[in-house]
Amino acid sequence: MKKAYVAIAIMLILAPLFAWAADLVGYSEPLENAAEETGASENQSYTGIFPDYTVPGLNPYLSALITGVIGVAIILAVFYGVKMAKK
Amino acid sequence: MHIPDGYLDWWICVAMYVISAIVIGYSIRKVKGKMDAQRIPMIGVVAAGIFAAQMLNWPIVGGTSAHFVGGALAAILLGPYAATLAMTSVLIVQCLVFGDGGITTLGANIFNMGIVDVFVGYAVYRAFKKYGAISSFLAGWLGIWLASIACGVEIGVSSTFAYKIWVTVPTMGIWHGVLGIIEGIATMGVVSYIHTHHPEKMEVAT
Repeated sequence: MKKAYVAIAIMLILAPLFAWAADLVGYSEPLENAAEETGASENQSYTGIFPDYTVPGLNPYLSALITGVIGVAIILAVFYGVKMAKK
Repeated sequence: MHIPDGYLDWWICVAMYVISAIVIGYSIRKVKGKMDAQRIPMIGVVAAGIFAAQMLNWPIVGGTSAHFVGGALAAILLGPYAATLAMTSVLIVQCLVFGDGGITTLGANIFNMGIVDVFVGYAVYRAFKKYGAISSFLAGWLGIWLASIACGVEIGVSSTFAYKIWVTVPTMGIWHGVLGIIEGIATMGVVSYIHTHHPEKMEVAT
């Protein structure tokens, strides 16, 4: 378990680097390509608390790190919560 | 592969919510009986790891790329029912907290990445297990490939995509078929590591 937490921490630390590199290459997913080819447009009215992994006022790289930590914390909290509730 | 709001016609959204809800309900029942409290945090750790891995968009020259999805990996480590619950928790957090994937399309996203990827990955892994590490490579690869084709069908029968299913399925299937090789290698790497160093953690280690 300890090693898994270390692996998660390493991925979170790498998140800003990957965010920067994705910007650099103009990252787009096949789903976005399919939308472009057919003229589809999204209509996202609800954008979440931290839209697209950004924290208002922070640069995108620091945002990637912080939102990564927040996401991991929420997920772990949910499952530890379920464990406590089961006892 | 996270479908945003507006991409799918309403009836597909509803159908996908219904199918996903049934599978999640069945998975909860399957997991509940045989899950001791110690294993619940392990589902959480796998889910948290998959969430973190999904933040890392692979920077491939040319731009069209993807990130790790991890449904097959979760299935190999946790078994398919617990894996569906792990993936569902990841997708709900991504949707509600980060606006990654729409609320109306959450059912479809859970179906593609939390059910198709998980159960296809698991079936492939079991079928090829006797051939060794290649089984987890194929699980990761084919799991994500079929998930992308499911996604291509869902958008291809929607009005926003002008019902051009003959465009959407090849676009999704070809790209993710190629990018899925990376998913397969990553899946194989993690499974091989855990299999060698912590075989007791493997749900399907036999």
